[in-house]
Amino acid sequence: MADTSTPNATSGNWALEARGLGKRYRRGWALRDCSFRIPAGRICGLVGPNGAGKSTLLGLATRQVQPTTGELRVFGVPVDDPAVLPQVAFLGQDKPLFKRFTVAETLRMGAELNPGWDAAAAERIVRAGNVPGDAKVGTLSGGQRTRVAFALAFGKRPDLLLLDEPMSDLDPLARDEMSTLLMAEAVERGTTVVMSSHLLTELEDMCDYLLVVSEGRIRMAGDADALVPAHTLVTGVSRDGSLPPELAGHTVVESRVQGRQFQAMIRPGGPLPADWERAEPSLEEVLLAHLRSPDAPSLYTQGARVDAEGTQAA
Amino acid sequence: MSSTTTLTEKPGEPGKPSELGSGRRLLRGLPWLVVRQHRIALACVLGLTLFTALWIAYERHELVQLLDARGWPEKDPGRPMENNRGYEYITNVINSLPLILAVFVGAPLIAGDQESGTAQLVTTQSVTRRQWLITKLGLAYGLALISGLALSALFTWWWKPHRSLFLSEWIDGVIFDNTGPVLPAFLLFLTAAGVTIGALVRRMLPAMVGTFLFTSVTTVFVWDEIRVRLGSPHMFTYPKDTELPARFHDVHELDRWVGSADGTLYGWGTCAEATDEAQNACIEEHGIVNDVIEYLDYGQMATMQWTAAGILLAGTVVLTAFTLWWTSRRPL
Repeated sequence: MADTSTPNATSGNWALEARGLGKRYRRGWALRDCSFRIPAGRICGLVGPNGAGKSTLLGLATRQVQPTTGELRVFGVPVDDPAVLPQVAFLGQDKPLFKRFTVAETLRMGAELNPGWDAAAAERIVRAGNVPGDAKVGTLSGGQRTRVAFALAFGKRPDLLLLDEPMSDLDPLARDEMSTLLMAEAVERGTTVVMSSHLLTELEDMCDYLLVVSEGRIRMAGDADALVPAHTLVTGVSRDGSLPPELAGHTVVESRVQGRQFQAMIRPGGPLPADWERAEPSLEEVLLAHLRSPDAPSLYTQGARVDAEGTQAA
Repeated sequence: MSSTTTLTEKPGEPGKPSELGSGRRLLRGLPWLVVRQHRIALACVLGLTLFTALWIAYERHELVQLLDARGWPEKDPGRPMENNRGYEYITNVINSLPLILAVFVGAPLIAGDQESGTAQLVTTQSVTRRQWLITKLGLAYGLALISGLALSALFTWWWKPHRSLFLSEWIDGVIFDNTGPVLPAFLLFLTAAGVTIGALVRRMLPAMVGTFLFTSVTTVFVWDEIRVRLGSPHMFTYPKDTELPARFHDVHELDRWVGSADGTLYGWGTCAEATDEAQNACIEEHGIVNDVIEYLDYGQMATMQWTAAGILLAGTVVLTAFTLWWTSRRPL
């Protein structure tokens, strides 16, 4: 398995580290028993259906939500320590800004509230989009407002940037522009990015690390390059309309019998019978299979998992 | 101002000229943010306060001139406060100030940011939620305090030396609630109530409506009942069928009784019978020899006002503590 995702054991190299993290609302658990780590410097996609707990997870990381159980560390510092604040920037789904502030005032807010404010970077981002500085934020277009929100986030010079569906309300052109901006800024600074998204193609292009959440639990965590090759899509002849017993030696994520044929997404546990046709699935196929089958066993690549005591489970 | 010049200026760097002017540079960080965010409310309340303050000074000046001309207090000045338009308007403004502060400053203070998501925006910058809440509360309470102290001081300065000329009694809401420590305490309490309702409701308009109702009920019904119970009433007993001594003319009468020689009190209407004969018989029967008046006198006003302020400030502290606790344990 690829080992690129495993920095050495010092916890400062983990941008985000959760142990037994859980959040219960009145209506039930939004997130339960989550243990994972995200290495620093990666672009991590947070994937899951609506209501899976993605926003709760981001809320916990931005201190908007307090955990019911477990703990979350940001670069090794507990998230409830105010020292975390300057390190993390957050861009919510609806990118709230003060509508009556001008763009210049919005950037001034960034300067006033953040000790490490990088005015030049923030202004560069705004200027690149030809957003007038004396325009009220309320009068800007969706793309322009997103740009200002990005400028505010990057001007903070965060080590960890959390994005909750950042592109969902943008047209394709603005989306492309923002993705390019995001990648350029993040790569230049070595910023760790965690972004939730519905758009699997967006994730495939941008992310090199994945955290798949479904029904409040972690389904998969790890290197995108390692997660996909761990799966094989097999097709073979079914026995009397049911799955062949040879599948028992492997981890079946999802399976389907169609007439005399069966098809299964598996994580091979050993050599496969020669008469099975095998194919490497795409990232999208792997994600969809996991999201469709919440009972399938979770998959962590090396280093992505932490057990309750905090030692690395290989 | 072109966009280029605005954007090339670095707002965070001291010593550089800014389009915002040097006056505002006095404010930094969170105080700058909350003042900028609430600058319209701030300007309106301060403007209204200043306007009313100047008006009070003018009216007092007019009154003093008139009284000097008429030789007050040696000579009867007539009734200068009767149909006094200025007094009516000023008291209307001061009376509506609690409502204005509670509904337009208190209620939207946190609810507005929760509704628009800017609470999230601010608390994901490098400031904690508590720092932000305290700055916001500081602004609202500061405004209530400045406005309350200034207007109360001026109104007291107008009323106190000339109180015999004012048509309202000292115990009436228009005087009691608008002088001394009561007005600032009242403004603080109702502002805190508005903030609390806003933090609970989390929506601006319902919070404002809720605060309006709360403020109306409190000021119109509840407070009138509380006010007269703040002092312990005195009793004065005098012989039946004699005049009440003149020194009792400016006390606030709470109740009247009739009493027998042994000190037993009966309701004022106990012997209100249809005929004189029946009435006399009743008086004989109960042995009624005295009239009794239960009253609050002007000397008690200061104590009552400080008691009132104490209650309101305690309420403010409780509401503030609750708001801080409530908003720190829930997602914004």
